[in-house]
Amino acid sequence: MPFTEAITIALSSLRANKLRSFLTVLGILIGVSSVIAVVAITDGLDRYISDKVLELGSKSFSVQKMPDVITSREQWREMMKRKDLTLDDYQVVKKGCAACSDVGAMVAMTSNAKWGRTLQENVRIIGITENFPRIGSVRDIVVGRPLIPDDIEQVRPVAVIGSDLVEAFFGGMEPLGKEVLLNGRPVKVVGVAEKKGTIFGQSQDNFAWIPISTFRKFYGSRRSVEIQAEAWSMSDFETAQDQARVAMRVRRHLDYDKADDFSVETGQSVMDLWESATRGIYVVTIVVTAISLLVGGIVVMNIMLVSVTERIREIGVRKALGARRRDILRQFLVESVILSAFGGALGVLGATLASKGLAFVLGSIMSADFSAPVRLWAVLLALFVSSVVGLVAGIYPAGRAAALDPVEALRNE
Amino acid sequence: MSAEPIALSDNGALIRAEDLWRTYAMGAEEIHALRGVSFTIQKGEYVAVMGPSGSGKSTLMNLIGCLDTPSRGSYVLRGKLVSQMNDDELAAVRNREIGFVFQTFNLLPRASALHNVELPLVYAGVPREERVVQARRALEMVDLGDRMNHKPNELSGGQRQRVAIARALVMTPSILLADEPTGNLDTVTGDEIMRLFGKLHGDGNTIILVTHEKDIADHARRTIHIRDGRIESDVRNAGVSG
Repeated sequence: MPFTEAITIALSSLRANKLRSFLTVLGILIGVSSVIAVVAITDGLDRYISDKVLELGSKSFSVQKMPDVITSREQWREMMKRKDLTLDDYQVVKKGCAACSDVGAMVAMTSNAKWGRTLQENVRIIGITENFPRIGSVRDIVVGRPLIPDDIEQVRPVAVIGSDLVEAFFGGMEPLGKEVLLNGRPVKVVGVAEKKGTIFGQSQDNFAWIPISTFRKFYGSRRSVEIQAEAWSMSDFETAQDQARVAMRVRRHLDYDKADDFSVETGQSVMDLWESATRGIYVVTIVVTAISLLVGGIVVMNIMLVSVTERIREIGVRKALGARRRDILRQFLVESVILSAFGGALGVLGATLASKGLAFVLGSIMSADFSAPVRLWAVLLALFVSSVVGLVAGIYPAGRAAALDPVEALRNE
Repeated sequence: MSAEPIALSDNGALIRAEDLWRTYAMGAEEIHALRGVSFTIQKGEYVAVMGPSGSGKSTLMNLIGCLDTPSRGSYVLRGKLVSQMNDDELAAVRNREIGFVFQTFNLLPRASALHNVELPLVYAGVPREERVVQARRALEMVDLGDRMNHKPNELSGGQRQRVAIARALVMTPSILLADEPTGNLDTVTGDEIMRLFGKLHGDGNTIILVTHEKDIADHARRTIHIRDGRIESDVRNAGVSG
């Protein structure tokens, strides 16, 4: 019997039992659509994250008191015991790192800003060295002037502010020369920084830069400084980090067998965290999919057994008309495969809708451009796997059908 | 199908059955449905196999139709020793040599008349275009040329049986094997079907009719009576109508 005939028979049998066929393939549909949707979403997040991390600058790193990623309360308590980093540390690293093209320092707090009666909450007030905006994630000055070394030496009460503050305070008005209160301290706006938008819904523009010296004068010197450094090139990146580390260790008189009591951080540590998280998501998804495909396969097998039982007489007739065992076997295998592949195809459709919907929701939560493209390989894999499930699930029922004795089958009512 | 040279010497016999036994195991007991049945049937004969229920006539029909093989004895069909064949060989013989007509028609309910008639051609591996041509011809032969695309539930009982006969004829088999072909039909339609058989016999077809009704058996030219698994009598009829 030609294959096309088996397919025609299978399709007409599935069409005759539309609802049953649909219900049968639900398990496969859910399995397939969940795996494709999760792959699409994590894929989209992956790209989003790596874009943002790359934006932080791929050859910059920072030396800070605590690591970016803290995984336990114990670790956090341990880290809190570390010595703060000081401006002297900054000088030492700056001198000790020959592979660094630039080294800066910053110290930050979150507080409010005020202009007249307008209050802006959760403003990052950042004390910086003048080179800070050029290290790592570069930020241009769009209005006015940047902070200059003289501002820092003279401890001037001046600020470069982010666009959120400009919008909150001045609207269309000229921001330059205005005096705003940062945590109650008056500074004069001398410049406005380029707008960066949001990461995970967090605005990147709700900040004010002031000279690091002014910051310490206003808010005290008991906050740990973060040292920002950039290597000359990617090939110097490791060397630069080592030099900074050595400089710090020498300064802190650490023995060779002691661990660092400070942290050197690159964008990589965020990427690593993200990757280990997505690995977990992938594993869970694969397990869920495997279970739902197993259940789906059992359901398909069950319904194929029902289908064989219902059609014993038809099988007898076909055998009387000359169908061989393998013709019957093929007919039911094809039907089983088409049934599950149909579930797989519906799953692909469901996944496309689901990932579009989720991408839209995530995109609006993060107020960012976010896409979760359904990958061709995921689609093909889903169709392949669901077909294999159908094949495996169909072997036993089809084998039973093929082995029926024609006399018995024809006698069946 | 054109006449092929006959492999075994059978004096031109289409069927030569010798000492056919069919034994079923019922638990520890053995049931002998057939107890040594022998007969020959020539090409072009119109034979009725008659007997009450339980006589073994259904078992004999299954053997003649190659749906089953005898426990003992030999069955030669067109020079081929069928009693030794395996499943696939039997399927091929059923496909090419036997045209079944059942009491309950046994049409596929979801398929059109045309597709039902195409089925044996499908299993013979005939390409689609040719299948359609041959199936149409067979349906026209039973005067159903205008009902080809109807499904069985859109046809009357008599029309359904004629579709089944077209399906039995489409491979031009050696034997038309009919099992109580009028059993599910009223008398008028039954007569109509029997006339069709008469006409097909006139055209040179070999017909074996299994029935328990004497009226029906009387249409044939020869009647083999079965009782208790043995041939009781084997007589030539005068032949009623053509």
